[in-house]
Amino acid sequence: MIFPADLITVVLSFLFTILIFSYWIGDNPLFRIAVYIFVGVSAGYVASIAWWQVIVPRLLDPLLPTLLGGSTAEQLILLVPLLGTVFILMKISPRLAGIARITMAFLVGAGGAVIIAGTVIGTLIPQVEATINFFDPNTAAARNIDVFELAGNGAIILTGVVTSLIYFHFGARQKADGSVRRYGLIELFAWLGRIFIGITLGVIFAGVYAAALTALIERLASIINFFNLFGNT
Amino acid sequence: MRVFTAVIAIAAGVLILGGYFFPALADVQTLLLNWAIILAGAAALVGIFNLIAVHTDKIRRGEKGGIYSALLVIGLVATLLFGMILRPQHSAMQIVLNGIILPTEAALMGVLTVSLLYAAIRLLRRRVDVMGIVFLLTAVLIFIGSATLPFGDVPVIGTLIRPWVTQILALGGARGILIGVALGTLTTGLRVLFGADRPYGGN
Repeated sequence: MIFPADLITVVLSFLFTILIFSYWIGDNPLFRIAVYIFVGVSAGYVASIAWWQVIVPRLLDPLLPTLLGGSTAEQLILLVPLLGTVFILMKISPRLAGIARITMAFLVGAGGAVIIAGTVIGTLIPQVEATINFFDPNTAAARNIDVFELAGNGAIILTGVVTSLIYFHFGARQKADGSVRRYGLIELFAWLGRIFIGITLGVIFAGVYAAALTALIERLASIINFFNLFGNT
Repeated sequence: MRVFTAVIAIAAGVLILGGYFFPALADVQTLLLNWAIILAGAAALVGIFNLIAVHTDKIRRGEKGGIYSALLVIGLVATLLFGMILRPQHSAMQIVLNGIILPTEAALMGVLTVSLLYAAIRLLRRRVDVMGIVFLLTAVLIFIGSATLPFGDVPVIGTLIRPWVTQILALGGARGILIGVALGTLTTGLRVLFGADRPYGGN
């Protein structure tokens, strides 16, 4: 027994899968219809999530109780984002859009700080530490690996890290004949870095392709299931 | 106004960044981040409104593809209204999620298999250099090495080459790219904090 909600979901899912797969015969109106509806529906869904999970619980729900019974400090703490929200809504009107800059400035400043902290604490330090750990005898002992094997692998990884970074160094000087080239040593390391980057991108490509293939198989299976479902009923 | 917006951006950035290093500023940081989350939510709504405005304008002007814009606006407004009235957890919204959004995403991903294959073939025809050859050779090796076959892993490629390439060679390159991206991001963040870059329109 299929419930109507499940039935609608299955039919919609089948329909949109077929519409998207129609792209294989070329860019066509059916594909565009599916994509435009998808963008609209996704944007509406995201907006409703932003409304119910951010604006309502963090701003609107505490608004009335705080304004009626909260202290002055609590009221101020809530009034600032309320004012900021009003300012940012001014962006809708081209005449008043300038006022939204105040809120945008706050958001950019906050975003910049979060990015700096996230980059240093979440990427730079852990990545550098992980590279150094390959040369730590204690790590080899803890992982029950031969110290030289670990250090050898670490040396290859370190070479990859350094040469990949050098590849993105584009500082160069003009030579007497007018040509612009990087220093010979940098050019050599950059060439090695290109190999490492090529290998990395190849691995990423294979991973993405495998993920895409999995999605394709899942969709094809759903189409087969759809026909089986309606063939049996 | 220009100086005022720059002061706000720098002050917010310094106080939030300070919260990571000085425990005394932790409460201020939490408060400011909470404000930022609310304002980001409001900014997302403004962005959605802008999307509606752009496509409504296209329909009004009778531009080519206006019918698609109409479908987009109808889909957006209907989903937004249902979502705001019923909440995203409602079964009707789950139909939208499981019947339209997720299958379309998966199908688009599926379409990517052909596009990626085509791109790889084009790469071989257009750019036959060391990086291109290494890239494709690695991709093919990893793909063959990852394949699940009836008799198990492909000998040597699946058991020896693939793990070594992914865990040693690719790790070195990936770490280099990641650190490079992190350094670039750090520079961008610092430029905002020093007021050298003012993407909020303070220049």
